[in-house]
Amino acid sequence: MTALTEMLTGAQLMCRILLEEGVDVLFGYPGGAIMPFYHALPEYPGLRHILVRHEQAAAHAADGYARASGRAGVCVATSGPGATNLVTGLACAYMDNSPVVAITGQVSRPMLGRDAFQETDIVGVTLPITKWSVLVEDISTLADTMRRAFAVAREGRPGPVLVDVPKDVQNQRIAYCPRAAAPVRRAIPVVEATALNEATRLIAQSERPLILAGHGIILGNASEDLRIFAEHTGIPVITTLLGISAFPEDHPLHLGMPGMHGEVHVNRAIQHADLLIAVGMRFDDRVTGNTAGFARHAKIVHIELDRTEIGKNVQVEVPLVGDAGPILSALTRALAPRSCASWWEEIDGSRRPPYEHFRGDIAPDAILRALHDASGGKCSIVADVGQHQMWVAKYFPYRRLNTHFSSGGLGAMGFAVPAAIGVHLARPDEPVWAISGDGGFQMNMQEMATMVQEGLPIKLAIFNNGYLGMVRQWQQFFHGRRYSATPIWSPDYVKLAEAYGIAGYRVEQGGQIAGAVEAALRDPGPALIEFVIEQEANVYPMIPPGASLSEVIETAPAPEPASA
Amino acid sequence: MSNLHCITVVLDDKLVTLNAAVGLLRRRNLPIRSVTFGPHVTEGRSRLFAMIEADEGAAQRVALLFEKLIGVDEARAVPAGATVARELALIHIRAPAESYGELLDVLGLYHADVLEEGPEGLVAEVTGPDTFVLSCLRAVERFGIVDVARSGAVAIERPAESPRAPTSTEAPVP
Repeated sequence: MTALTEMLTGAQLMCRILLEEGVDVLFGYPGGAIMPFYHALPEYPGLRHILVRHEQAAAHAADGYARASGRAGVCVATSGPGATNLVTGLACAYMDNSPVVAITGQVSRPMLGRDAFQETDIVGVTLPITKWSVLVEDISTLADTMRRAFAVAREGRPGPVLVDVPKDVQNQRIAYCPRAAAPVRRAIPVVEATALNEATRLIAQSERPLILAGHGIILGNASEDLRIFAEHTGIPVITTLLGISAFPEDHPLHLGMPGMHGEVHVNRAIQHADLLIAVGMRFDDRVTGNTAGFARHAKIVHIELDRTEIGKNVQVEVPLVGDAGPILSALTRALAPRSCASWWEEIDGSRRPPYEHFRGDIAPDAILRALHDASGGKCSIVADVGQHQMWVAKYFPYRRLNTHFSSGGLGAMGFAVPAAIGVHLARPDEPVWAISGDGGFQMNMQEMATMVQEGLPIKLAIFNNGYLGMVRQWQQFFHGRRYSATPIWSPDYVKLAEAYGIAGYRVEQGGQIAGAVEAALRDPGPALIEFVIEQEANVYPMIPPGASLSEVIETAPAPEPASA
Repeated sequence: MSNLHCITVVLDDKLVTLNAAVGLLRRRNLPIRSVTFGPHVTEGRSRLFAMIEADEGAAQRVALLFEKLIGVDEARAVPAGATVARELALIHIRAPAESYGELLDVLGLYHADVLEEGPEGLVAEVTGPDTFVLSCLRAVERFGIVDVARSGAVAIERPAESPRAPTSTEAPVP
């Protein structure tokens, strides 16, 4: 008699459920405790595996894939060092609400708790940086745990989940049962009519309102509702760092980025506003500066999916807890059309001509304009962390939805190169630029090998100023120009590119920018451009850490006279 | 006015869930007075109590943060004044024959039960608000305390129409 049920190993079951969940690509690195999974993997050609050069890159790539595709990104690592190498990437995904599912091998159950070879309590390590971290204790719970992991990662406010599977569980056998039913989605809270009415009243009465749009607009697919709400009311739209590309920057209602490196007229508008309509953002300290001096004349309406964000950093007049899109459209329906003409006049009156503070002709803004123009804006930009990250946020004109990617909450240097791998796999048909400084690039530059081996034509741009530039800028402004440990040597990037077998260009004069960018885009494979920029270029304006948005630095402090 | 709040969390009885719950308390950097943990009436569930110094908004946010944890069924934050809290202590006291009667008199004042007796000492059980338990410990100190096991506070919300004054330490301290 033939068996009616299909018997699978734990490893095969894991692959089956990945396919069930719609996974088509995973980023990983094999090792002892995850070998049964890798043994099963070739039986499932629907799962494309990208072999990274370091597990941190697997986590960042899964994060990039999730951000660009709106689906869960998957990374795989072995126990011990493999698992601990994922930690930075998971923390980054947690801070920026990216649905990542991490699968780690673990030592076999009889070895658990004995400090076995490559045994690390990765569940304990990752508890505070995941939505859920779970050890699979028996094959009978493996399928449900895997399915639940995807549901938890995606539902509500998304985030990373880690599933730790002991090697012997991967080798256990069990009958495969297809998922009984679609997972029950947690109900999204319904906003009370009284709160909506109160918000409507505040918006109708306000004379100097602002919209602060965050990452929640992109995660909640609410950009169209935001545009309609803004156009209906004429209210200026400020986009936070992770809110960039949630609202087109060439739209007349777009104002700019707030906070530590926000333009003066944007921060000034916040300080003079009488109402802030915050949507899908969490009043990070890089946005608010010192909260005691933040928007002192403004009442705050906070539209947010996660109730625990309400009142965490600033006091909120009216919380609207729920999905941004439906709430924004309900507000649009409830409000009469209006304009904010005199408020716009006031804001426009405080605009300044653009800063002319870059020396030399390879200015960051010129590079970013060239990157934009070369593909007519049809590209995705993945920034690393530091000065160039702020230039990318300020000078690249984002007109297409969700085309800007940045490690916002964690600020993890080394993010751009691996995250760009994930973005490319989600969007294989358009150019993806990983823009890094010379510091951040050297943190994960080994991933060029991944790009070559897997045939991923990612374009790499390095803003090389020979310093860890943002830290150097703080040293210049706040530490008496003592450049402690910030000068950083780089290899010859063109030769490095050559060593990896990819095209490399060095740009030392402004006239070379466009040509190098076009050549890199024409190249069918990965390509690297090193832009040799002014060594001590700064990001202006700047709100000093801990200061209020009104205390702005617009020029470098005069060097202290040399002591005798 | 005290900002003491009692957070009650019902969670599954897996150690990893307790780990996550305690980690949350630590990570959110809140002044914690006490944490206790015990079984819940429902099988497979446990109950965690934490007394924290936090204003109403922060306390409610902590409860909501608990509810985000996988494995947590329910979390509530109530002002300590709206709860009744008790602690249990087991006290091993030296009890030589010459002071034995006097010690029993003192324990009687605290309604303490003597659970075990030996030639050199006894084990007594006292229950009450934390101030009451501490007062009892001070009172028997002079006899010589060998060891004390305190349970920490467990608390439960008062009935809605409770006629008793809303203070957390209402029991008379002798």
